[in-house]
Amino acid sequence: MYILYESEVNEDISRLDKAWPEPPTFIFMPDRSAVSREWVEKGMARFPDSFQENHFVLLTSGSTGMPKLVIGSRKRAEDLASVIHNVQDSEPVIQTVLALPLSYCYAFVNQWLWSRVEKRALISVGGFNRPDNLKEALLAAQDCMICLIGAQVPLFVSHYGDDTSFPGVIRVHFAGGPFPQQSIHIVKRFFPNAKIFNNYGCAEAMPRLTIRPLEDSDEGSNIGKPLPGIELRTGEAGEILFRSPYRAVGFYDHDGLRIPSDEDWVPSGDLGEEIDNHYWRIRGRSNEVFKRYGEKISLPQLMNTVCARWSGQAAFYRDKDPSGEEGHVLILTPEPTKEQVQNILQAFRKNHPRTHWPLRLESTPAFPLLPSGKIDKAGLAKIKNATVHWRQRL
Amino acid sequence: MTNREKLKALLIDILLLEDSEFRFDLMRKDIETWDSLAIVAIGVGIQETFGYHMTPKEAVALKGVPDIINTLESKGISFDE
Repeated sequence: MYILYESEVNEDISRLDKAWPEPPTFIFMPDRSAVSREWVEKGMARFPDSFQENHFVLLTSGSTGMPKLVIGSRKRAEDLASVIHNVQDSEPVIQTVLALPLSYCYAFVNQWLWSRVEKRALISVGGFNRPDNLKEALLAAQDCMICLIGAQVPLFVSHYGDDTSFPGVIRVHFAGGPFPQQSIHIVKRFFPNAKIFNNYGCAEAMPRLTIRPLEDSDEGSNIGKPLPGIELRTGEAGEILFRSPYRAVGFYDHDGLRIPSDEDWVPSGDLGEEIDNHYWRIRGRSNEVFKRYGEKISLPQLMNTVCARWSGQAAFYRDKDPSGEEGHVLILTPEPTKEQVQNILQAFRKNHPRTHWPLRLESTPAFPLLPSGKIDKAGLAKIKNATVHWRQRL
Repeated sequence: MTNREKLKALLIDILLLEDSEFRFDLMRKDIETWDSLAIVAIGVGIQETFGYHMTPKEAVALKGVPDIINTLESKGISFDE
């Protein structure tokens, strides 16, 4: 077993192609992460003999600050890549362009492994670290698929403006965060010929659980139906639990190594519910729903209120009020006008009781981002130059 | 800014009122956002703006803007036009 760093693969992607069919299990690590090499090696030492070969390991959950090594079976992952190919209607696709780090489970399986299993071209030009190269690759693309996270939509606008489109991209997938329903008109403008999908899963699922073609619902939180062979149910607290023949076979985190059996239900880390015709709706991360003065607060639902009145980026981070009660702070970027602040506050007044209102409404010139491009939620609370536009006086 | 203007701005901010909704004879029962947490916020806001620490009993007893003005005037804070 050995560690393969993302920078090594970025320099020469054939390293990954060579590592995959060779017996030793490898850990594919981002160059920067919240854990030390020693922590990873300590985890590797605890892996049973059966995991020493024909597996791969990814590091996940930087956004929650709780790093976890997720151990995947190569055979299971290849099987899932084939399932994904069918449900994502990918037969016409001949190439895929990377816009996410490859160590990200979503890009690793849905793009790198898929391209290997289905024998399609993988184009890696550095993603948004090299926006000009990415633009060039997307302009030249033909029958192309791209995997994105919702937080990248504003990056397309800021880097490529209003007059660029990528007609050669015919499939656009979103996963890894809230589906950008409110800005889907922007996605369609950049990708006028693409079928758009909302994909849902988690690294523990390695990574896919459900899929929804855009046109099946106009509700961003609708994550579609489970993939063939995958079962979903909710636990007592409303958390989504899954069983999947493709999921990771083991997990290592600060609590130690866990190897679930095939009968075990594994939490996805989100809250959700089944709605009509086997479609599922997500209600947010388990840590994005909490009680405040006895009322259940769902930050994703509150975000819908914000997004209906605000076209910039928005995020919540958790804080406590002076009485020690849990609360949340709304932070925006770029700087809102006075009218925009009033507009958002009036939307809170109209749609939610005061307990659901943010403790403060702040703004900052730019959000801190993780290497994956997702908002660094832990970093939001540490921003020192945030402007406070409004606060509850409690 | 006069004390009347300060009080108006404070209550608009706490209760998220539209400017046109505010009146100096506004009563608590008329505004859905004047709830139990708003009572706390009004107490904190009064202290920040006028320097008077309202007791919880006084804050809960407020039935409207006239009561706030009466309470503050009794502490020597003038609301003369």
